[in-house]
Order: sequence, then C-alpha cells, then structure tokens
Amino acid sequence: MINVQNLIKDFTLSKKQRKEMGDDYKNTKILRAVDGITFDCKPGRIFGLLGPNGAGKTTALRMIATMLKPTSGSISVCGFDSVTNGQDVRSKIGFMTGQTALYDRLTPTEMVKYIADLHGMDKTTFAKRKDYLFNILDMNSFADRRIARLSTGMKQKTSIARTIIHNPQVMVFDEPTSGLDVMTSRAIVNLIHSCRDEGKTVIFSTHRMGEVNQVCDDIAIIYKGRLFFNDTLDQFKSEMTQSTFEEEFIYRVGEA
Amino acid sequence: MKFLIIAKKEIIDITRDKRTLIMMVAVPLLLMPVLIGTMMKITSSQAEKASERQLKVTFFGQEHAPDLYKAFSNIDKLIILDQISIDSVQSYIQSEYLDAAIQIDANYQSNIENNGQAQIQVQYKGTDSFGTAKDRINTVLGQFEKNIIITRMDRLKLKPDVVKAFDIQFNDVASKQEKFGKLAGGWLPYVFILFGFMGAMYPALDLGSGEKERGTLETILSSPASRLDIVVGKFLVIMSAAFLTALLALGGILFGIQQISEIPPALLDLINDMFTLKTIGLIMTLVLPVSAFFSAVLLGLSIYARSFKEAQSIVAPLNIVIIFPAVIGTLPGIELNMVTAMIPILNVSLASKDIISGVINPLYMTEVYISLFGFAALSILWCVKAFNKETTIFRN
Repeated sequence: MINVQNLIKDFTLSKKQRKEMGDDYKNTKILRAVDGITFDCKPGRIFGLLGPNGAGKTTALRMIATMLKPTSGSISVCGFDSVTNGQDVRSKIGFMTGQTALYDRLTPTEMVKYIADLHGMDKTTFAKRKDYLFNILDMNSFADRRIARLSTGMKQKTSIARTIIHNPQVMVFDEPTSGLDVMTSRAIVNLIHSCRDEGKTVIFSTHRMGEVNQVCDDIAIIYKGRLFFNDTLDQFKSEMTQSTFEEEFIYRVGEA
Repeated sequence: MKFLIIAKKEIIDITRDKRTLIMMVAVPLLLMPVLIGTMMKITSSQAEKASERQLKVTFFGQEHAPDLYKAFSNIDKLIILDQISIDSVQSYIQSEYLDAAIQIDANYQSNIENNGQAQIQVQYKGTDSFGTAKDRINTVLGQFEKNIIITRMDRLKLKPDVVKAFDIQFNDVASKQEKFGKLAGGWLPYVFILFGFMGAMYPALDLGSGEKERGTLETILSSPASRLDIVVGKFLVIMSAAFLTALLALGGILFGIQQISEIPPALLDLINDMFTLKTIGLIMTLVLPVSAFFSAVLLGLSIYARSFKEAQSIVAPLNIVIIFPAVIGTLPGIELNMVTAMIPILNVSLASKDIISGVINPLYMTEVYISLFGFAALSILWCVKAFNKETTIFRN
C-alpha cells in the first residue's frame, strides 16, 4: 500500500540551469518538479503514473523509494513514513528502471546475492528464493557467467531477479520498458502482472499511452508536476471524449 | 554492518577489473623494478662509455711547455691532434669533433721558473655528458701543478705548511643512514604518494561515477543500506586499494634495488639496514591517513560527476596538485617544521625522509599525524555530505 499526500518537490536551479531552461525560469530559482500530488496505490492492483518526459514521474517515484526527500507532503509505504522510516520503506520495495542496472563483473548469482544480503535475507531463505526465481526465469544455464558476457534478454532476467529477490510487498517500476525491444518489454509486462497476481502493490510509470491500457488497473495523469486524472482505468475510458488514448491525453493536458 | 556487504561486493568487483589490477599491482610491483633497473643500467653504461672514450685534444704553444705536453701524451685514452688551426678550434669543439683545446702562454716557462703563475686556457664544451673532458684535463693539470709546487718548496727550502696554515679535520657526525636518507629519502615518498593516488583513482571513478553510468546507483539507494553504509563501504575499498598500491610501490622499489648489480655492496647493505620492518611500518602509518584523504576526495568528486568520462576530466588535474607538494619535499633545505608538518602530502614526504634518515622529531611527527588524520576526517565528512546531497547524487 502506498499513500501519497500533497506531495511537493522543489529543486533549486543553478544559474547555468536557469539559462539553459529559457525565459520561463529567468526570474525563478526554484523548479517545482512535483506540485501537490495525492494518490493511493492498493495491493493487488497496478497503478500507472502516466505523463510525458519531464512531467515529474521519476521524481515522484524516487521520493516513494526514499532516494529524494519531499519538500512537503507525506508518503507512506506499508504504513512506514518515507522520511522518518526510510530504511523500513526501502526494505519493503523493489525498484526497477528501464536500465538493467547490473554490475558487469559480477555473475547473476553474485548480483542477486548482493541485493539479498543488503535486504538481510538469511542463507536458507535466499537459497530457496533464488532457486525458485532462477527456475521460473530459466536462468540456471548462465547463473555463474559474468553479466558483461550475457545477452540483453539474459541481463533483463537478471535485473528482474535482483529486483524481486527479497519478495518485496511494493514494486516501483520507473519506465521499465523504455528503450527495450518487444520481447524484453513483454517479459517486464508479464513480471508486472505476476506481481499484481501475488497481491503486491505495483506502481508503474510510463509515457506510452498504449502500455497503460495493456497493464494498469488504476491511472494518474501527471503533467508539469500536477495530477490531471486519478481514478480507475475503466473510469478513464468511460470519460474519454477522444478516439484514442494519445488524443485523450493531449486533450486533457491541453484543457488544463 | 551493511557497509561490510558493500565493501565485500566492491572488492570482488574491482579485483575483476583489469585496469585497476594493472594500476594497483602490476605497475608498482613489476614496472618499478624494471624502470629502476633500466635507468641504473643506462646511466652506468653511459658513464662507462664516457670514461672509456678516447679524448681528442689539441695543443697550442706546446713548445713553451714540453714537459706538460709530454704528460698529456702519456695519458691513456687521450689522443693529441696536431695541425688544427686555431681559427677552427671553436667550431670543431662545438661539433664534438674535438673535445678540448689547451693553449699555453708564451711566458709559461719563465713564469714557472720565477715562482709565478703560468696561464693555461682550456676550451671545452660544457654540455659534454658527465663532464669527462674538463675533469680528465683538470686531473692531469692538477697533478702536474702539484709536482711543480713540491719542486718550488724544495728549492726554497720551505715546508708545505707555509702555504697551508690550517690542518682542518671535518668530522661528520651524521650517520651514513642519515646522509643517504636526506639525499635519496625524499624521492621514495614521492613515488609511493603518487602510486597511492593512482591506486585510488580507478576504483574511485568506478565506484562513484561508474554507478551512475551503469544505473546501479538507484539500485543501491533503494536498498535498505543507508547512505552512510554506502559511502563507508566504498571508501574502505578505495582506501585499501590506495594503501596496497603504495605498499606494493615501496616493495617494488626495494625489490628493484636488490636486483641492480651496479650498486656497491656497502650501499646495498646500508639500504637493507635502513629499510627494516619498523621503518616500513612507520612509513605506512603515514600512508594510511593520506590514502584515506585521497580516497574520500576522489570518491566525493567521482560521485559528483555525471559520467565516468567527466569524473576522469575532474580528477586528472589533481595529479599535478599531488605531485607539487611531493616534489617540494624532495628539494634540499625543505625540512619538517611546525608549518610544513601541517601541510598534507608535503608532510608525508618530509616525515618519510626523516624516518628513512632515522632522525625523528616526536613533536613534528605528532603534528604530522594530527594534520593527516584531521584532513582525512574532514575529507570523509565532505564525501558523506556529497552522497547525502540530492543535487550531487542526481546531478544532470
């Protein structure tokens, strides 16, 4: 369960950044990346955070994962506050991005063991969980090969295994399919579905409208740090006035 | 204790990196002895060549000093070239066809006989390697002059003491170890300070900006490990790499020295007596905090950089910053005092020189340790702060 309340995140801009960002930021030192957003992600459901690049999706997810501190507002993950109980929050989540985020000189077994050790898993639990994941992901044939020598698909499987080795209750996916081919994207989508089926809370960010229809149960549309829609996917569909998701998104953002 | 898990993983990771291993182990341990050996061999063979070389000399006015001319004719490996015109001498010496020209004054004989000074002019090329021509001519002339003076003294029935009022005996209280330490001791810390820095550089780049580049930074930041665990784990590994590289560099130098046959056995014995386990241990107590200082600074800068490449361009100029105080420490006259003992790197260089010489001032040494551990602590705090700063960690 994730509960986000009036979340705000401001970044202080340097002179150089202000110059690069153009006239809109000429007279302001603050960039508000997330502007008072509120939403809930429920267990057994997939919550899609939908928005274009620079909308504030990654900032919001990084705050949920305690990598960034909110300027104001609060985030609760499985009942733990993200600021005061950061370590407890982190022990409950699995975080995955579009990058495989692996160490080339380790083997998949070592990579997964490293994350398991950081999560304080004991040897027996780790061995069981590792065997289970390596079997269902068909990773045993390359389990002890250096990651640098693996194919993209093998790396993606390793990345999945390291994200869920500690069996997290909450899964945070930050544009996990961006830049991936169709086959690898499908593997990720399958993982997201299986996480939901296991009763995990899943939050998933994307800028691809089609993916939302394929994956999400609940959606929130974020643009320039603000939420423009926050309800079920079915509700979104029923309110649609345009013919496609893309057009509806552009229409709603334009209206705002 | 999560920092130990991070440190363990980082050790596995960097020991599988060829670049780091080459820089950390192969270069200091193998390259240093090879470099020292080659340098010594080239120097001694060049010196030998220079002393074996036939010296080509021409004389003008030899008819005024036939005895002197004869003395030169009897010298081994010296050829006297006649029939060279006085106008061509300078160009011949410049082009190294001729090594020297000796010109005897027309009044040579009368000046010598009247207990006066005879003028002799020697033209030579000062850039001649090892100064062979000047030294060899000077030796012959010196010996000849000595004989003339003895003859004069006899003739005047004077004792040599007449022209030598003092019988000075200089008694050097400095031990051979101290003298050698002051002379060569400065270069040794220069080498291991530099190697310590280089040994820390690659792991620091890899463990800092490398995490950003691979996208693995988010993986560890979203794990239950705290930022402090992450910094401490990484820092310990980088510091160990720096320390080990410096130790191997020192070992490489000592091993290299043992392999040089040109070193006189007495000097080799002296070196072996100087580098006892105690000396090496003491030097390493200086290397440890300076390694910590390097490691924390490098890790902080590396995590600030957006990419490995940017980190390299930030860190590379630091080589100069490191070399400068280390080189100053090798200069004669720069000693450990209340001021220099506070300047990091320079104080390591100077304190190491004192340790090698066997002359340790406890007050200054205490100051050196306070300075080094102080700077190390400050740099670690700065590094932790950099890791906790969102604008550094997610700088883009």
